[in-house]
Formats: sequence, C-alpha cells, structure tokens
Amino acid sequence: MTLASPTASGPARPVARRWSFTRPTEVTRILPLFILVVLCFDVPLLVALGWSVRDPKGPDPTLRHYIDFTTSPIYLPVVWRTIELAAIVTGFCAILGYPLALWITRLSAGRQLVAIGLVIIPFWISILVRTYAWIVILGNAGVVNRTLKELGLIEKSIPFLYNELGVAIGMVNVLLPFMVLPIYAAMLRVDSRLLHVAATLGASSFSIFWRVFFPITLPALSATMALVFILSLGFYITPAILGGGKVPLIANMMDMFINRLPRWELASAVAMTLLLVTLLLYAGYQWLRSRTPA
Amino acid sequence: MTGGRATFGRALLAAYAGVVIFFMCLPILVVVPMSFSSAKSLRFPPPGWSLRWYGSFFKDDRWLDASVNSLVLAFLASTLSLILGTLAAYAIVRGRFPGKRLIESNFMAPMILPPIITAIALFIFYARLDVLGTFGGLIVAHTVLAAPYVVLLMTIAIQSFDIRIEQVALTLGASKLQMLTRVMMPNLVPSALAAWIFAFIISFDEVIVTMFLSGRYFTIPKRMFAQLMEQINPTITAIATLLILFSIVTVGMVGLLMHRAGLLKPRIGDARADVR
Amino acid sequence: MKHNFLLASMALAATAALGISNASAVDPSKTLLINDAGGQWVEAVAKCIDEPFFQKTGIKVTHEVPGGIAKLLAMVESGKITGALFDGETGEIEQAKAKGLLKKIDWAKINPEPMFDEAKQEYAMGTSFYSTIMAWRSDAKAPGNFVEFFDTVNFPGKRALPNYPGFILPFAALGDGVPVDQLFPLDLDRAFKTLDRIKDDTIWWEAGAQAPQLLQDNEAQYAISWSGRVAGKEGVTISFNQGMLDMSWFMMPKGADPAEMEAAWLWLHEHTVKANQACVAQYISYPGPSPELDPLLPQDRLGEFPTYSENKKVQWLTDAKWWFDNVDTVQKRWEEYKLQQ
Repeated sequence: MTLASPTASGPARPVARRWSFTRPTEVTRILPLFILVVLCFDVPLLVALGWSVRDPKGPDPTLRHYIDFTTSPIYLPVVWRTIELAAIVTGFCAILGYPLALWITRLSAGRQLVAIGLVIIPFWISILVRTYAWIVILGNAGVVNRTLKELGLIEKSIPFLYNELGVAIGMVNVLLPFMVLPIYAAMLRVDSRLLHVAATLGASSFSIFWRVFFPITLPALSATMALVFILSLGFYITPAILGGGKVPLIANMMDMFINRLPRWELASAVAMTLLLVTLLLYAGYQWLRSRTPA
Repeated sequence: MTGGRATFGRALLAAYAGVVIFFMCLPILVVVPMSFSSAKSLRFPPPGWSLRWYGSFFKDDRWLDASVNSLVLAFLASTLSLILGTLAAYAIVRGRFPGKRLIESNFMAPMILPPIITAIALFIFYARLDVLGTFGGLIVAHTVLAAPYVVLLMTIAIQSFDIRIEQVALTLGASKLQMLTRVMMPNLVPSALAAWIFAFIISFDEVIVTMFLSGRYFTIPKRMFAQLMEQINPTITAIATLLILFSIVTVGMVGLLMHRAGLLKPRIGDARADVR
Repeated sequence: MKHNFLLASMALAATAALGISNASAVDPSKTLLINDAGGQWVEAVAKCIDEPFFQKTGIKVTHEVPGGIAKLLAMVESGKITGALFDGETGEIEQAKAKGLLKKIDWAKINPEPMFDEAKQEYAMGTSFYSTIMAWRSDAKAPGNFVEFFDTVNFPGKRALPNYPGFILPFAALGDGVPVDQLFPLDLDRAFKTLDRIKDDTIWWEAGAQAPQLLQDNEAQYAISWSGRVAGKEGVTISFNQGMLDMSWFMMPKGADPAEMEAAWLWLHEHTVKANQACVAQYISYPGPSPELDPLLPQDRLGEFPTYSENKKVQWLTDAKWWFDNVDTVQKRWEEYKLQQ
C-alpha cells in the first residue's frame, strides 16, 4: 500500500461537493443499473402491487385486502414472529461472525485464504441439501443426540428440530457467510498504521480494539446486519422443513396465498406492506450511515 | 505489550473462531461422506460405501445440462451485477444528485420482496414481452436479484475508502484511469470479490423465480426442487460434493492470481505486523 | 354449426378408435406443451407415454415446470396461454373451474378405454391415483383404524402429519369416531378436537419426502403420508384401511392453441391405455385410471397400489365441492389452530 491516509475515516461529502466535474459522470454511472431495475423490476412489480387494491368482485379499487391483513388475528402474528426470529438470527450471526472475521484478518495470508475458503464452501451446498443435512445432524436419531447419549450425558434425545430452535440454527448457518465476508473485507481496509500509532502511544490491545478498531468497523457491521436481517425475512425452505410446520414465516404465508388458496390480492397487500416497512427501516439505516463518519 | 493477557485473549479468539467455522462447515462434514454412501436414503454414518450417486449424476445428461446452465447463468448474472452494481455504488457514495436515496432504496427492493411475488410479476411481464423461457430473460432477472447485494457491499467499501487518496493520486498526476486501476481497484478487491461471490451464490441457489421464468431450461436447484419434494435422493449430496471441489479449485486459483498480482500479501502482512 | 361440430367429433371418435387421428376440424399440432410439477411421475410418463406417442403420431411432447393454478392464473393475467394442459390437485380443479378458466374435457375426442368413473370429470381427467394413508414404524404397535391411530395413550409416539388441511382434517374427524360414510359435510369441531388432543405429539410435514424420513429416523413413530412415499420403505408398515383415495388431474385452459388442444386429446387417450399405465407403474406406484390394471401390475408389490382392488374398496374419496365451498371457514379455523401451537 503506497498511498495511505492518516486516518481510515474521511470526510467524504464536503470534499465531494468540490469535485463538481464528477457530477455528470456519477449520473451516467448509476444509470445502467437504474434503467435495468426500473424496466425489469419496477414496472412488472407495479402491476403486481396493483392487485393489492383490486376488488375481485367489482371494478372499483378497494382497501379490503389491507384491512383483512391488518385486522386478522392470524396474519400479523406471523409477521411479528418473522421479525422477531430475524432479529434473533441477525444478533447471533453478529456475535458469531464478527469475532471470526477478526480472527481471520490476523492470520497469515495463506491461512486467510484457507479460512475464507472454509467460510465460502458451505455456500455451495444448496439450502435444500443443507436443510436435510441438519436433520441428519440434529434429529432425535441424529449424530449429536447419538453422541451425547453414548457419552452418557443425556438419556432422552434433545429436541433440536421441529421448533423455533431448529429454524434458528438452520438460518444462522445459512446466513453466517453473509455476515463474515463483508465484515472481513471491511476489516482488511482498516489502516494498520492507525492501530500502530495507538500502540506506540501505549494503548493496550484491549483498548485499541474497543476505542479504535471496533468503532471503525461499526458501520460495516451495522450495514451487514441490515443485510442479514432483510435476508432472514425471506426464508421459506428452512422454516418449512426444520420448523416441523409449527413455525410458519412470511414466505410460507405468501406461498399459501399464491399457490394454495389462491388469494393473490391478499398476497399483494402483504408484499406491499412488507416492502414499505422494510424500506422505511432501510431509510433509517441510510440516515444512520450518513451521520456516522465512514 | 500486555503479554500474558493478550496471548490468552488471542487463544480465546482462536478457539471461538474454530467453533464458529466448525458450525458453518458441519453440514459439509455429513454431506460429503453421505455422497459416497451405498444407502438409498440420507443416513449418517453411511452403512456402506459406493460411487453409485456419482454414477447417477454423470450418467444423467439432464443433471449435466442443469449444471452447465446453472454455472453459466450464475457467472454471467453475477459478473453483470458486479459491474453495474459497483458503478452504481460509486455514484451513490461520491455523487450528489436529487433522488439518490430513493434510487438506492429502489435497488434494494428485489432483495426484500418475497420471491414468489417477483416470480409471478416477472412471469406476466415476460409473457407479454414474449421473452418467457429465454436464457437472456433469466440472466436479466438474476442480475436484478443479485444487484442489491453488490450495491450494499460496494457502497460500504467505497465509502470507507478515503476520497483524499483519490485526490492525492489525481493531483500527483495520475490519470483518472490510473487512479481507478492502481489505487481504487486494489483497495476494493476484497469487497468486490465478496460481492461477486454473493451475487454468484444468490443466482446459483435461486429457485422460485427461476422456476417460473426458465421454461425448458433446467438449473440445478430447479431440478433438485421437484425431486427433493418427493424423494430424498442422495444424488444431491454427490452434486454438492462436486460443487465443493469446484469451489476449492476456484478459490485456490483466485488466491493464486491475487497472490501473483501482489494484491493479497503485502497489505495483509502489514496489517498483521502492526496489530501485534 | 352445432351439427357440424357433433359430426366432426363423432367422426373423430370413430377414426380415433381406428387409430387415425387427423379427421378433426383442426389438425393436431406437431408439438404439445404440458405444464406440470415434474418429478418421478412425469419422468415415467416421458418414457412410457410421450416416447411411444411420438413414434405413433409424430407429436413431440414437452413438459414445463411448474403447473398448477398459480401458473395458470399468471398466464391468464398476461393474456397468453402457453401449453394445452395443466396438472392440478383436486382442489385446484374446483378453484380454476369457479374462476371460469377451464375448457370442458371433450370425452368424445379422448375416446377413453375403460376407466374409473371418478377419474372422468367434466373439466378434468384423473391420470394418476394416489392415496393418503397411515404408516408406522414396523417396531411400533400397529393401529387398525384412525381412532387407534390418534390414540396416543395406547399407541404412544409422535405423529408426522401433513401440513395441509385437506389431507389431515378428515382423518382427524375419523379419529374422533366419525363414521367414514358420514365424513362429509366434515364436522370441523370434531376434527379439531382430535388435533387439540394430540397437539404435543405432532410433527407437521410439508414435503412428501419428509414422512418416510421422519419414520426411518425415529423422529415419529406414526405418520399420515402419501402412499407412494412410504410404500416399500424399509422398516415402515403401511395400511390402506380408511385411506383417502385421490387423483392428480389434467385440466385444459380456455384460450389454448386449438391445434395443440387436438394433440392434447390424443395424448390424454394414451393415458387410458392400460399397457401404458402398467409401464408407468413400474417406476412409481401411482397407477392410472384403468379398472383392469391389477393383473398388469408388479404382482409382488400389488399391495402398494392405491387402485389395487383390495386397497381401493377400503378407502374413501374426498368431496372437492365441500372443500371449495368451505375454504374460508376451513382456512380460518386451521390457521387459528396452528397459531396456538
């Protein structure tokens, strides 16, 4: 690294304003993806989201489906359960993933590659296969329960599966790489000299971590947590199979509205609500990000 | 420095990290042995050994076909979304224009919406445009689905890359292109790689939208889905094992390339020395 | 006009019987696209029906996943129907029918060989029979009927049950002592009474493949499962007694290509040929609608087939109309029940 700044954080915005000549180019940079998303996502979606106000029995738009959805004693609890589980899963991913990423950055280059390889490899096993693998591992007659019994630690199998615990384990396993990789990438960019300066000034490694390193990586951590949270809202197969049918989440509910009932208008209303709520959360995240120095 | 305490802390961190990696890889540790099983169902440990599931993969043209489709599709969609997503992320961080936040949120929408809704909406749209069941249509859909991951990761990466470095490079007489290739890119490589892998996997594992849009093209998850719902066929463990092998080779090659290009070692070497 | 049509179809019926297939108003197209769920049954059909059908008629059959009502609805929304046939469950036929999406089945054009009456509907043709039955680990105490099946005191163990109201509620009603001949209209109170009673011993399965896996892994000792998934599985015993006999159907959407429709009638005819059905039965134990199939089935596995005469007579058929008329009530009670868990 030949060009290093004195700090890893930079007051990006005020400087950017002075670089006025970048303005037109920035717009052209964002355009290709923007056009693609508008044409191949927004337009089709507007049609689908329009169903949410469609009255199957008449020509006039109606808010009935939104009222059905929000006043039903059945649907909202599924949404809350999904959000609750997503929050728990995101929390666990952070607790497990951050230290792992930290540890990896401190390995030698070759070992880092191996460690990152180990983080990425589970990606290659489709979620479907991994879900069934968990049955083999955590089931009543699974590897874990058998081992514990042979060791004489338990007499009756521990019910890991077919409850919220099973779903949470499966989800955390799938989402951990999504947590580790971005944080690891962010940690690599932390300017080592900064830490060095702190060390020469006599700071303990404990306080270097908590007062310098952690705050620098915090934006990346929170961004990644936002990503993992959003991702965990959409799980379908894991709750269907590891939840034993007792832990339906939003995606399972959507499947019912689209494929089984079918009540597309209701599905559309739920999707619209989900989109708005999540985007509001995302706006909150954007706001936080803009306030935190990068 | 603080001697004993720091060493203890490092050992604790290593042990913790080891446990987490073990947890992440646990499914692999059962899937790989099961792919060599002689049993017809998923049993661990396998009652006997055989290569029959590899046989049933390689002998079946449809699986091979699906594998090629999946890999080509994921490669094209992830590369496309990496390029478009990175450009967009750069504009989001460095640019100032009205509606920036809204556009950024818009990019996130495909990640948020339940895939079954996206699937139906795109199905209807594609049918009207007469591109239903085309490979190109599938690539576009997967690109849109994978782009949010790229935008999210690259926004963070570019934001934490100090703009003054860019300015210094430019004032020292570097051309914009030199600045990008010599200064910006090397710093963004780890994040870009992570983003590309995410995009690749999102496309590679996508089943619901693919199911509706792909017509007669089969991908691995699409093929698996119909089968797994009926019967747990250990062929899927053989496929998973082959993919793991493939990914090890790919990661190995990327590592070698990065090593040769000097992207990996000096930077990380620095960091390590200094943290200690 | 009407006369012409009648004449044409009669002529077709006559010529089709002779094995000539080009006498209808529109010639059948050379390709036929079918929307279905894929899987083992379709793979068997590709070998046993599509191949010989192509040899015989030159019509190339292709299958696209998925089928079902969701895809049909999406096509209707888009205004473009591709494919002359869609597969569907019993309930989906009612839904599609009520939305006015279906064309009547032209039985004269299909000119079927002998088939069970229940497979011959106005808007759909049943092409494969499957049963929903009780199964248990061979080392567990064998239940004789569904009252015993749901008796967790005398038959202790977990129950793996389908997470689909249509496939569990009738059995739960039987479990409370409702006689088979009085199942419909279904007494929901009594059905949910049973489910409430065994709540803590229940695992719900979603994918058909899960039921045998749950039994073999000793996660559950008893299961209600689709027959083809548990039949012949090591360590699992099955009984068709009081089982629910049902069919997978093909329906034809309005607005499909007329030439392709003609091809579809010819293809559906092949499904009524018992030799073809016997061929499919080699690969999967979901038999076609011929009442004369028993002697052609693999004799050592006869007991696995839903339409085997000994099995068929102890089972009952669901009431699709009742489910359709009561979908809102059922759904509401079902979800309320599932939420309390």
